[in-house]
Amino acid sequence: MREVDPLEAQIGDWMQRFASMPDRERQLPDPTTMWVKAKLLQSQALAERASRPITRVQIAAYLIVAGGWAALVTWKWTTLSAWLNSFTPSHIILGATGAEAAASLSLTFFAALVVLASVTVMLAFHTILAEE
Amino acid sequence: MTADALTFEAPFALRAATSRRAPKRPMDEARFELFYRKTAGRIWSYIFRMTGNTATADDLLQKTFFRFLRSNPVIANDDHLRHYIFKTATNLVFDHYREIKRHRERVTDIPATAEARADRDDLRHDMMRAFAELKPQERALLWLAHVEGSSHEEIADALSVKAKSVKVMLFRARKRLAGILEKRGLAPETGHA
Repeated sequence: MREVDPLEAQIGDWMQRFASMPDRERQLPDPTTMWVKAKLLQSQALAERASRPITRVQIAAYLIVAGGWAALVTWKWTTLSAWLNSFTPSHIILGATGAEAAASLSLTFFAALVVLASVTVMLAFHTILAEE
Repeated sequence: MTADALTFEAPFALRAATSRRAPKRPMDEARFELFYRKTAGRIWSYIFRMTGNTATADDLLQKTFFRFLRSNPVIANDDHLRHYIFKTATNLVFDHYREIKRHRERVTDIPATAEARADRDDLRHDMMRAFAELKPQERALLWLAHVEGSSHEEIADALSVKAKSVKVMLFRARKRLAGILEKRGLAPETGHA
């Protein structure tokens, strides 16, 4: 049999006394409550994990739409700024607000504008409905 | 190995040997209740002795069991399950210390609690203070070795250290505690404790 080191024995005794001292004044939580809470947390974690890809796709969609708008505005910035600057009282009176500027915009631009606007509206609806 | 013994799916060093023989069944509520009633008190004492704070012990006890259940324990071996829960509690206590350090607070606030002030001259409090002077890892080492009777391998796994180092670390921890007890007049030779 192994000879017990006096230090080990001394500390062992002290630890045993220390451990046996009363410490808890309150009752431990009920195991049923613990079980229910744990299951609830588990299902919450599962739901969070399941919705993570959707959130990622949503963020990517926001970025793509924002990028699309930025690209569109950059592409036709000269024409768009001319169109915006044409909103003067004289033009409004003459009823020719931005007519020349709009005429210079291509069909592709209008198609892109419609697509981007639709996607933006759809994304906005999706965000609002998902939150609700 | 009986079918009634318990184990769990979470990875740890000693699982492989028993898990092959033991039937794997997920732990149900009744099993959990049995296991909880058997271990919760001991886990609470361990966390309380490690942190010196009852509220922290309550909080970390709940977290320990939540994490335990999240690991989807399955029925197999009782010892391994007990070992795993102590490992989980140890990790949570160490995380707690890291969090405290991050907030630049004192690691042990034993004298600050109302409960501690009430029995300042009590032997229990003296023992708590002496134990609190040790580093968290030393406290865990001594508790697991002397109170829980864990093997060096189990301690090494719980503290994420090499099994070979445990003997030396234990020796140092014992020596440090003996020094603290001597300094505080709590050593057995003094006849106080």
